Amino acid sequence: MILASIVQLLSSAWLAGLVMLGLGFVFAVILLIAHEKLKVEVDPKIEQIHAALPNLDCGACGFAGCGGYAKGVMENPELIGRCSPGGADVSAQIAEILNLQVSESGPAKRPIVHCRAHTADKTYHAEYQGIPSCTAANALANAQACKFGCLGFGDCVSACKFDALHIVDGLATIDYAKCTGCTACSKACPRDLIEMVPFGQENMMTVACSSICTGKVTRAMCQVGCIGCGLCAKKSDAFTVQDNLARMNYANYAPSESNELALDKCPTCAIVYRGKTAPPPREPKTKPAAASKV
Amino acid sequence: MDTVYILITGFLSVVLINNLVLTKFLGICPYLGVSGRIDMAFGMGLAVTFVMTLSGTLTWLIDHLVLMPLGLEVTRYVCFILVIASAVQLVEMYLRKFFPSLYDSFGIFLPLITTNCAILGLCLFLNLWGTDSLLEAVVLSAGGGIGFTIAICIMAGIRENLQMVDVPEPLQGAPITLITAGILSLAFMGFAGII
Repeated sequence: MILASIVQLLSSAWLAGLVMLGLGFVFAVILLIAHEKLKVEVDPKIEQIHAALPNLDCGACGFAGCGGYAKGVMENPELIGRCSPGGADVSAQIAEILNLQVSESGPAKRPIVHCRAHTADKTYHAEYQGIPSCTAANALANAQACKFGCLGFGDCVSACKFDALHIVDGLATIDYAKCTGCTACSKACPRDLIEMVPFGQENMMTVACSSICTGKVTRAMCQVGCIGCGLCAKKSDAFTVQDNLARMNYANYAPSESNELALDKCPTCAIVYRGKTAPPPREPKTKPAAASKV
Repeated sequence: MDTVYILITGFLSVVLINNLVLTKFLGICPYLGVSGRIDMAFGMGLAVTFVMTLSGTLTWLIDHLVLMPLGLEVTRYVCFILVIASAVQLVEMYLRKFFPSLYDSFGIFLPLITTNCAILGLCLFLNLWGTDSLLEAVVLSAGGGIGFTIAICIMAGIRENLQMVDVPEPLQGAPITLITAGILSLAFMGFAGII
């Protein structure tokens, strides 16, 4: 019974099967010819480089994704070392694939925020109720009194792909344990507060202010801004004062007694440590009287 | 003269009145997936048009020269899918060789044309509509592809403008896109009954 029905099925379906096989064969031949004619030579090295990359597609290298960077580095080996999430390991691997020697590029760069003012330290002339974005707020003159400080709407936070940046009490705060140095935040900040500096030490001493107003004006706007008094420059060679703002030579920074002294002497505590295990910043002992006036 | 008239009306019908996306609701996947930017939508439309014309013509030939004389109409689906899959492979190889940037920007959506139901739908519609000459089949398949391109480009244009609009929070993303698609589809249904 079952055998008979199978025989019947086969006897009526053989033609369909044959047609299908025939069609399949024809198309297979066409595709085979097309495959030979339209062959694209892909350098196996590009695939190797792509495999060595961290595949985060963060865009720190300047390409849209890791695939683009792999191709770019293949064509122009000078681009080795642009992959900041991968760091030195990945650079070495790429160099090995391309048979090149990679030169020492120095310590990895990490972002530092040139502001330390939390909401309580800032002064506002009016309440900002516009679009909650730093770029929008920055277009207004009076979103907050200080024209240089962190606005705290978190454009950098949304730019960060690694959850390494958060707004803490109105100040962008970097989690250096998660940061890969992809530079996305420093590009996102409309006030250019976030600078990429070579992190030679676990914790870096930084000038956490970018106000170039005179000391009097800065003090009226912010309790913890740099007033350009120059005390730090007198104590340590690492500091210079230019345009009412202390500047620091981050490339040559090393912990030293004179640097510590400069940090201790700063009247507004604008010099702070940043890094994975950074000690909490000093707080100014006496709040400047002018800051409470609006 | 009569043939020309039939061809023109048939073409207009498949582009506007019986638009595969907006009135038959076929090919919704790329319609919503690749309509974010107008240049990519246009590229996708062109690729679909090419595959549709090629596979519509081929399937019509296979249907009329092989399947119908042998009485094997039941195997239409399988054979048509075979044709479409091969055509997509061909397009993919061609794009990869000559338009690598377009190939990169399509990504996964290019192989997905294989499963684009608008194409299989059109191949089956050709039979349903009683297309009885090869020329008619070619014109209708090209029209189907052009109709798809028009629909996806209109959608991409609207979506590009929607990005600058203050959309209520619960409607952001997919919901507003689906609502837009529905209203657009309603608008195209206004063409019904013209020819």
